[in-house]
This record gives sequence, C-alpha cells and structure tokens, in this order.
Amino acid sequence: MAETATTTIEVCPAADLEPGAMRIVGLEDGRKLGVFNASGKLYAIEDRCSHDDGPLAEGPFDADNCTVECPRHGSLFDLTNGRPKSLPAYLPVETFPVRIEDGTIKLEVS
Amino acid sequence: MMATPESKVAKPDDLTGIKDGYEFGFHDPENYAFKADKGLSREVVEGISEHKNEPQWMRDFRLKALEHFGQHRMPKWADGAMDNIDFQNIHYFVRASEKQGRTWDEVPDDIKNTFDRLGIPEAERKYLAGVGAQYESEVVYHQVREDLEKQGVIFMDMDTALREHEDVVREHWATVIPPNDNKLAALNSAVWSGGSFVYVPPGVHVEMPLQAYFRINTENMGQFERTLIIADEGSFVHYIEGCTAPTYTTDSLHSAVVEIICKPGSRVRYTTIQNWSHNVYNLVTKRAIAQKGATMEWIDCNLGSKLTCKYPSVYLMGEGAHAEILSVAFASQHQHQDAGGKAVHVAPKTTSTITSKSISKGGGRASYRGLLEIAPGAKGAKSKVVCDALLLDEQSRSDTYPTIRIGEDDVDVGHEATVSKIGEEQLFYLMSRGLSEEEASGMIVGGFIEPFTRELPMEYAVEMNRLIELQMEGSIG
Repeated sequence: MAETATTTIEVCPAADLEPGAMRIVGLEDGRKLGVFNASGKLYAIEDRCSHDDGPLAEGPFDADNCTVECPRHGSLFDLTNGRPKSLPAYLPVETFPVRIEDGTIKLEVS
Repeated sequence: MMATPESKVAKPDDLTGIKDGYEFGFHDPENYAFKADKGLSREVVEGISEHKNEPQWMRDFRLKALEHFGQHRMPKWADGAMDNIDFQNIHYFVRASEKQGRTWDEVPDDIKNTFDRLGIPEAERKYLAGVGAQYESEVVYHQVREDLEKQGVIFMDMDTALREHEDVVREHWATVIPPNDNKLAALNSAVWSGGSFVYVPPGVHVEMPLQAYFRINTENMGQFERTLIIADEGSFVHYIEGCTAPTYTTDSLHSAVVEIICKPGSRVRYTTIQNWSHNVYNLVTKRAIAQKGATMEWIDCNLGSKLTCKYPSVYLMGEGAHAEILSVAFASQHQHQDAGGKAVHVAPKTTSTITSKSISKGGGRASYRGLLEIAPGAKGAKSKVVCDALLLDEQSRSDTYPTIRIGEDDVDVGHEATVSKIGEEQLFYLMSRGLSEEEASGMIVGGFIEPFTRELPMEYAVEMNRLIELQMEGSIG
C-alpha cells in the first residue's frame, strides 16, 4: 500500500482556543475542518455532516460528552472517532490528529 | 393557561362538508381536569413539563426542541399542503383525567363509554396482551398481562416510564429521531405527551399483540404522543395502534414520534390502522433501527385524516437485518394520503421489501413517497420496492415519488410501479355472478389490499374489511 503524504497545518496559538471553544480551519483543497477543545483535550473532524454533506462543526458542542450536533437534523457525532451516535447520519466523518507544539495547535491532514 | 370546561355535542350543521358515514365522529362533553389555552409558546411548553413534574433534562430538551421548531422550515411533502396549518389555533395540552386507571372502572364514565363504543375493553378481554388508551394528551387507562410483567416486559405510558425508568428512557430517548430531524419532530419533542414505552427482555416472545388506542375529543386539539419500543436480543413483540376523532369543521393536529430499537436477532411488528376523522392533520415521524439479524416490520394503513404525511423508515444497521414495510392508503373526497416508507441499508447482507398499495376515489389523492438507500459497504444488500395504485374514478389522483440512492455495486434492487383502474371486464364478470356494482368494486378493492389484511390478526382483518366497505360506500354513480 502506498503511503499517504501528510501535511502539518498550524491552526492558532493554543491560548486562543479555550476549553469549550471550536475553530474552523479551511484547507487549500477546499475542505474545512473543525478543531475542538473539550476540557483541555483537542479533537479535529471534518466540517461535514455525512447525512447531507452540509456544515457540521458550528452545531452545538458538548465538551463534557465530546460530541458535536449537526445543526440541521440533529445527528450527534463523537469527536473522538467521527462516528454518529444518533440518526439520521449513519456514516462516520473523518478525524485528524491534532496536537500542541511550541504553544501552537497543529493538525496533520492527508 | 386555564381550564375552560365546555360541554358540546356536534350538531348536524357543524358537519357540513365533512364526509358522511364516519361512525366514530361523535364527541363527549368536556369535564376535564385541565385544558391549555390555544397557542404554542415557551410558557405552554414549560407548563406541560411542570404539569408532569419532569426532570430538568426533559424540560431543557423540550425548550431546545421549541427553538428547533421555530428555526425549521415546513417540509415540502404533500406539495406544501401543510403550509396552511395554524399552529396558534391548537390546544397543546388537555388533561382529561387526574388519574390513570388500571381497571376500566377507574376511568371516568364518559371516557370509558367512548372506549366501550370503540370496542377496546372487549378486544382486550379477547385477544390482547396489554392495552393503553390515550384520550386527548394523556393515557387514561393502561394494563398489561401479569405473566408478561413477571417475564420483565414493560408496557406503560411514556409519562410513567419517564418517572419509573428514567435511566433507560434517557439512554435511548431521541437517539433514533433527534428533535431537529424535521419541523414536526421538533414540535412533538417540545410538546409531547403520552404514548407508549415498551421494553421486551432478551428472548421473550410476546405472542399476543399489545395495543394502544388514541382518541382525540376536543375541537382544535393537538395530540403529540411519543412512543419508544426497545426489543432486546432475540425477542419479539407486535404492537398495534388505532385512532379516531370526532368530526368537526375546524382542524385538529396529530403529530407523533415513534422510535424503535430492534436489538440483535429481535423482531418487532408495528401495525397501524389510522382512521382519524377528516379534519385531522396526521403528520407522524416513525423510524426504527434494526441491528444484526433483527427484523422490523411496519404494517401501516391510512384510511382517515384530512392529510397524512407518514413514511415509516428502517435503518438496517447490522449484518443480515431485514425490513418489511407494507403501506396501504385510501384517499376519499377531500383527503390527501402522502404515505410510503424508507429503507436504509447500512450493513452487508441486509434485505428490505417496501410494498405500497393506494386507492383513490371521489377526487381523493394518494401519493407514495419513499426512499431506498444503500450505503457504501452494504455488500449483498437486497431490496424490492413495489408501488401499486388503484384509481376508482376520473377525478382522483395518484402520484409516486420514489428516491433510490445506491452507493454499493454488489446489490440486488428492484422497483415496480403500477397504476390501474377497476376494469369493466372485472366488474362485468363479478356482476354476472349476481353482485351489485358496489359489491363488485368492494371485492376488487378487498383483493387489491389483501397483502395487507392477511398480515393482520383475524379480528383486525375483519374490522379492516368493514372499514374499507364503509370507505367504498357511495363510490358508484
């Protein structure tokens, strides 16, 4: 299997994304990701609901349960693995490794 | 919100323009414990929650749902026929009785007499394992056979279930139909009241059906029951619901949410005989999840209502799960039955059958609206969709709106649709055997929906045929 090249994206200074906050990141290829700070732990998922391909990350964010809710039809997505926890979505969305390095939030995207 | 007791009996003049021959169109005097003023607001939603003394999470859920209701646009099903609904001209909560009966003697006389006329206590004695009877917003009678209770079967109204089994309810609540799934699901989530909660433990087969009966009595009433059925591994249950309402010249609204979870190897059959009066908007969201090897069956018959929008759906989440959706709609004068079904194949080797039968007469309109979706990875999925429409005259109308989305190559999918009229030759043949034209037409219609009636318990099949005969009255000449 061929290895997929990954690119590191700098999101913002870690201090700018407080616990309970979310930030949308646009990639050069047109994709968008949502980066979430759930009680100090960071997660990044596609900003796309797998039900209707509309935006996802701006929906209600539950930091305690690590979920984001699709703002249109209400599917709850698990930020840890991108899987929907409730219908009508049933397919997972992509998740991305995210870390803090030298005080900056960085994403690995392929 | 103040109680406003009224005593009102329908006068013949009130019924002008409404279908004749609807035998359930009577109504009772209103000696109610509480009746909310008309209209939808935050205060009304909070008031419902307060009346029920609910936990905070449920009150928050309702209020959030009310926001979703305000934000959502009305779905465009039925060609925008729902746009005329005046949501501020509805009573959202009516408590008919302070206490729920465990025997029919504990139910207020007026209400008991109504259910007697509808034949519910008699049916319970003869062939049901349990009965829930909802009158206006709440369940006034509930009973389940003792031997089933001993096996761990829970069958109770949803309000009681929230009090007595809060953890189980909360774990599954709105996981199948989120409050902002659509505008009507949001409305139900905000103002829900009554409905059934069913839990069947692993391996338990409830051989006799459980029945819920929903009755609206008040004019401009909104009934918003909420039903949750959980069939644990390897279990079986058959749940039947029926409904009627008085005939008024103004509109009422019924908007239920039904969520069903079929755990691995279980089977749930959910049968509906919908016979609302012709002034009721019937806008219902029904959805089931079928896990590995489970079977979900929707047997859905729509005879009554002014407008029905209902598309029972099954999400086949586990390998080998099966969905059976059988939808029958009968649209008479001034009726629009926008019915159908949805099957979503998520896992491999899942199978589904959607069979839709519609009959239109007297200018009535019946539509099939359905979805068949096969997700990438659902290898070996099989599905068959059959839509048959029967038009009884030139004024009536039938439409089909099928959506098929296939995301996997290794599948077997079929779709058939027919539209037919009652043939002169068929009529001639039957009439040559001594039947009148009306009897002959009735027999042809009976044969057309036979795939539905044969799935019903015998007593219901007999009643169903009688209701169809009533619908057919006056269809000739």
